[in-house]
Amino acid sequence: MNTVHSSMIHLPDARILPAVWKLLLLRLRITFNSLRHAKLRKKIGTVFIWLLLLGVAYFILSMSRLLLGLTRSPEFRQYVGVDLQPLLASIPALTLTTLFIGTLLTSFGVLLQAMYLSGDMDFLLATPVPIRAIFVAKLMQAVLPNFAIISLFGLPILFGLGISSAYHMLYYPLVILVMIVLAFAAAGLSSLFVMVVVRFLPPRRAAEILGFIGATFGLLFSQMGNFANSFGKEINISGSRLASMLLLANTRWLPLNWAGQGLVALGEGHWLSGVLLVSATFGFAIVAFWFALVTAEHLYYSGWAGMQVVTRKKLTHASRPASANGFGLARLLPQPVLALVQKDFLTLRRDLRNLSQLVSPVILGVMYTLMMLRSGGEPPAGRGEAPAWFMESFRIVLEYGSVGMSLFVGWMLLSRLAGMGFSQEGKNYWMLKVSPLRVGYLMAAKFLVAYLPTLGLGLIFLTVISIVQGLSVLEFVYSIITISMCLAGMAGILLTFGIVGANFTWDDPRRMNSGAMGCFGQILSMLYLPLSFGLFIAPLGFAQFLGFPIAYGYLIGLALGSSVTAGFAFIPLWLVRKRVARLGGE
Amino acid sequence: MLRPYVIETKETVTFTYRILREGDCHFFISYTLFSPVTYTIDGTIRLPTGDNMPETLIETRDLIKRYGEKVAVNNVSFNVYSGEVFGFLGPNGAGKTTTIKMIVGLLQPTSGMVKVAGYDVQTQSMLAKATCGYVPDTPNLYAKLTGRELLRFVSDLYSLDRSQVTHRIDELLRMFDLITAADDTIDSYSHGMQQKTSLAAALMHDPKVLVLDEPTVGLDPKSARLIKDILRQLADRGAAVMLSTHILEIAERMCDRIGIINKGQLIAVGTMDELRTLDKTGEASLEDIFLSLTGGADETEIAEILK
Repeated sequence: MNTVHSSMIHLPDARILPAVWKLLLLRLRITFNSLRHAKLRKKIGTVFIWLLLLGVAYFILSMSRLLLGLTRSPEFRQYVGVDLQPLLASIPALTLTTLFIGTLLTSFGVLLQAMYLSGDMDFLLATPVPIRAIFVAKLMQAVLPNFAIISLFGLPILFGLGISSAYHMLYYPLVILVMIVLAFAAAGLSSLFVMVVVRFLPPRRAAEILGFIGATFGLLFSQMGNFANSFGKEINISGSRLASMLLLANTRWLPLNWAGQGLVALGEGHWLSGVLLVSATFGFAIVAFWFALVTAEHLYYSGWAGMQVVTRKKLTHASRPASANGFGLARLLPQPVLALVQKDFLTLRRDLRNLSQLVSPVILGVMYTLMMLRSGGEPPAGRGEAPAWFMESFRIVLEYGSVGMSLFVGWMLLSRLAGMGFSQEGKNYWMLKVSPLRVGYLMAAKFLVAYLPTLGLGLIFLTVISIVQGLSVLEFVYSIITISMCLAGMAGILLTFGIVGANFTWDDPRRMNSGAMGCFGQILSMLYLPLSFGLFIAPLGFAQFLGFPIAYGYLIGLALGSSVTAGFAFIPLWLVRKRVARLGGE
Repeated sequence: MLRPYVIETKETVTFTYRILREGDCHFFISYTLFSPVTYTIDGTIRLPTGDNMPETLIETRDLIKRYGEKVAVNNVSFNVYSGEVFGFLGPNGAGKTTTIKMIVGLLQPTSGMVKVAGYDVQTQSMLAKATCGYVPDTPNLYAKLTGRELLRFVSDLYSLDRSQVTHRIDELLRMFDLITAADDTIDSYSHGMQQKTSLAAALMHDPKVLVLDEPTVGLDPKSARLIKDILRQLADRGAAVMLSTHILEIAERMCDRIGIINKGQLIAVGTMDELRTLDKTGEASLEDIFLSLTGGADETEIAEILK
């Protein structure tokens, strides 16, 4: 074999910027390749989303220009009786502060993924590429997507303000430059934050917690509007109070406000204060970015962040789940069924990524329940022309609103538990596939895993609402039967579609439901929801209408509803039983 | 190890390929796979009967697996007997894992038959699976269960006697040096620990047939040695062990018989001695035999690339 001559060793380019460029080109190539190999509908969808985003940006620009222009008009000023000029001048500071904090928070997850979970750091660090270039490229990867999204909303507002206020031309390029340096400073600080977190938590666990917090807060914020509509009528914040609050936030003592205040000053032609404030922003941002970059690089390379100081707490005997021996009625279940149920409950509880999906129905349920309870349980009187039987039937339906609410919450929970009951096995499905597990046992276990917690949650909602609404014992018992049967049927439908569209190839639980079958299941179960509810409740109204004793209504509702819902619980599953045997082997 | 079958030479007997395949006399079966199909021996053969007869624990016949136009496994037939360790070798993408997955019931064959412990994997899957243990190449285990919980779960899947399970779990955890991590969730385990947990799970029900796909990948020498010893002991106790590996040294040392698959076709089966007869010198290593059968890179070609 030939010897390797020193003349053959190519000295790599040690300059940072060309290396960063190469790494970014690589990322661009990966993105381009995934788009190129994507299905046509995804390609069309991507182009459509981009066009839509551009349209949104143009809309925000036009609206902000129009509205901000309007607020400057003397007529408007006279109408509101307040000088809005200081308020408008605070917009850049508020927008840029939002950009900074938004980038700081959103970069955390991206950087955690890019530095610790993507798996390419070791590969890159082993190559003769300057380590700083790798970190800069990673930071840029973290910044770019979030920066683009935040800019999509922030830039049109700032430009709209500039146009409507006839700011100096220098204002516009400086807005872009300031946004870029602030975003980089935020991402740099975020990388340090990642290092500190990873020092105490394994990266994967940190990602799980982050996902859980993100999903929960995202849902809470998204529902805040509904909640505020229902509960916030009493909270009346006047316009002048809001203006004074905004002005207070735009204090010069906060360095984050300097960027916005400097841009406004430059736009209005106050050169000295403008140049000073913008220069200070640039200085602080660059120093923060550089400090963060060098420190993060050192912490990563020295292995400081990798050495977790907190070891994982061992599960004590007390915290361990009950053994597969089971207890109470569970003893009646066959051993493999009980084992599967216990295993699923454990993995659902311990994996925060699953928990974040499961907590959504609870949050939504609580919010809608509170709103329902506030609305009262009485039908609107109207002009009093409606016949008595109609009003009575309406009152019955409203009385059973608690059942409807419990079913709605149950539907949301079942969509996850039953719809993805099989898919959640993921790449571990081989363990079930190679074991001598009967198809019937597997289906029964998955049914129970979906049905039992949903029933429990539904009954909790029912009990709470029933107590508040003061339902009679008979109504409460009938509601329990209705919920139990309706949810069983719904579990059957959703589990069936979950089997047909089972996906075992996911890495991220959020991508578990990749096919159209999950959507079909949800649509069908959504149609089933009023049908099953109606089968139990409608006979009560008919009995009222026909003047029969209400007991007849209960009996007919029970017979009709139970038989149909039981059919939905078993027949769809029976139809796909052979498919279960083939799952994971195609 | 070959079982010592008694051959008494009294008269001339002609064996055909078909007769030998059915006769469970694997000395000859091995030869027939890559030699002329008829043998003439001066003598009679007393085929093993009763206690001496090794049980066929894995039997594949004319096994085919197609993915659309691509044939991943093409007409593969071989047997693995009780008491032997069978090595399954082949280059990357040769069809080893596909064959193994069909044996353990993870993959449905396009055609052909697989029997495990005498049970058809397609039609008697419950019985076949109850006798079989499987260790996959990638240990995908329930990450949020602890090692102990996983083993208990597996024992329940196989409906093992609950009174025995706790003891068995502790025994396996201790044997694989996992006892200190037994109550940690599996996502905190290293690859090697996960591999050992996977093997422990496969051994929970004391399988008659153990199928392992690349069992020693990622293991430290101590663990690799432990696994080799365990497999040997299992075979000595009458189980059939089938393993795929790329480490030819392991195959050469551990396996009683070796099957070589290339491009979906089984191109050789036999003991090391039998495989050596394929080489003119008769002293070739398994590596030489493997490369000559599967077409390894030429030395000059390698030198050319490194130049």
